[in-house]
Amino acid sequence: MFNSFNQIQWEYLFNFELVRDSLPLLLQGLRISMVIALFSMIFALLLGLVIAIMRMSKHWIFHLPARVFISFMRGTPLLVFIFILYYGLPVIGVQFNNPIVAGIVGVSLNFAAYNAEVIRSAILSVPRGQWEAAESLQMGFPETMWRIIIPQATRIALPPTFSIFMDIVKGTSLTSIITVNELLYSARIVAGRTYESMTMYIAAALIYWVVCIIIGYFQQRLEKRYNRYLNQR
Amino acid sequence: MIDVINLKKSFDNTTVLESINFSVKKGEVVCLIGPSGSGKTTLLRCLNLLEIPNSGAIKMGDDQLTFSERKFKKNKLLTLRKYSGMVFQGFHLFPHKTVMENIIEAPLIVKKQSKAKLIKQGEQLLEKVGMIDHKDKYPDSLSGGQQQRAAIARALMMEPAIMLFDEPTSALDPQLVREVLKVIEGLAKEGQTMVIVTHEMNFARRVADKVLFIDGGFIVEEGPPEQVLDNPSHKQTKTFLQLLDDEQ
Repeated sequence: MFNSFNQIQWEYLFNFELVRDSLPLLLQGLRISMVIALFSMIFALLLGLVIAIMRMSKHWIFHLPARVFISFMRGTPLLVFIFILYYGLPVIGVQFNNPIVAGIVGVSLNFAAYNAEVIRSAILSVPRGQWEAAESLQMGFPETMWRIIIPQATRIALPPTFSIFMDIVKGTSLTSIITVNELLYSARIVAGRTYESMTMYIAAALIYWVVCIIIGYFQQRLEKRYNRYLNQR
Repeated sequence: MIDVINLKKSFDNTTVLESINFSVKKGEVVCLIGPSGSGKTTLLRCLNLLEIPNSGAIKMGDDQLTFSERKFKKNKLLTLRKYSGMVFQGFHLFPHKTVMENIIEAPLIVKKQSKAKLIKQGEQLLEKVGMIDHKDKYPDSLSGGQQQRAAIARALMMEPAIMLFDEPTSALDPQLVREVLKVIEGLAKEGQTMVIVTHEMNFARRVADKVLFIDGGFIVEEGPPEQVLDNPSHKQTKTFLQLLDDEQ
């Protein structure tokens, strides 16, 4: 099944020259991946906050749609959802002229459900006494939420939110299936042209990894900032 | 200052307070004592409207709120809540804000007062509770006693007519209890109207004008401290005080 060690053709495993030559194309793809990832994360966070608040409402008219949305989005694969958006919706007359837009919509909606659950659990983990203290000081719901609860919940939500962001960056690779010329798509083009699949997919994997390392660095810095009021004794 | 009329509170099918009637005059200090689960904290929380009574009425100053099972408008809460400031057993300072930010937060947001004026007022209050040196620290770096004194200053910043204390020293190490009680005694001397839930009987004896002994959701006995604490007339009060004596 395996070739013996000295039979491996190392130049097919990782061809540095090919990677160097195709780097401009890969970085162009990365730029599109990051555009999709950043827009998707912003929309997923905003929508996630709205859905989290709806989910915590006592009125069924708010919490029921939120629960169904979260259940559907978490229960269906992102790729299937992107297919529905891009290839399914034209059947009822909804057509995305730009596959990038379809990608952003798909990734945003799918990850909004995960963000909603992270935000909800972070808000719920702020001690009840904080709500009561603000209430006894005559602060209303919006002020309490914005000035007291959200800043504390943000600290709790930071690590899982950054994990979601990394998942989104990697999830953008699925949009290559609907012809978005992002990073994986660019790697596939070169691999198809040169038959150097291993080299190109390892190169793509390394680029995704580097991006996630950079995101992890920002996570650490933000965590440090949000933890500044703790453990000072 | 406060009139509590026929107050009743239940959670699901469990009645926690029943036929509660008492008054607090301006400048008076009332201590609520009683065994755990007797309803004293719930009564205090009803006065701050953190719990909504099922029936009865609460009158504070010129405003009265009547509660009934069916009709109750939540927006009326604020009218009554303005009269009181609450100090919790667990302090509940905002951990992401410094001591100064904690105490000016509510007047800044709710009363929309100027920040410069509030900081000046805050410094005077922190001086009074002995916390001026800690004004820029975060709660997590303070001892329990310091946190509770900051929490007292935070409640006082809203200039409430009545201060409500829910077992303010129960969460503290014994050596930190004194510094908090001293601040409360100082407020009593200044004529601040207060309702205090406490297990510190000597403190109640020193500071209270009136003591209410609550058991099983009822006010069993009420009167000046020398009467309720030293010569109780009800068997339940005697048993409770005897148990406390034995523990100490």
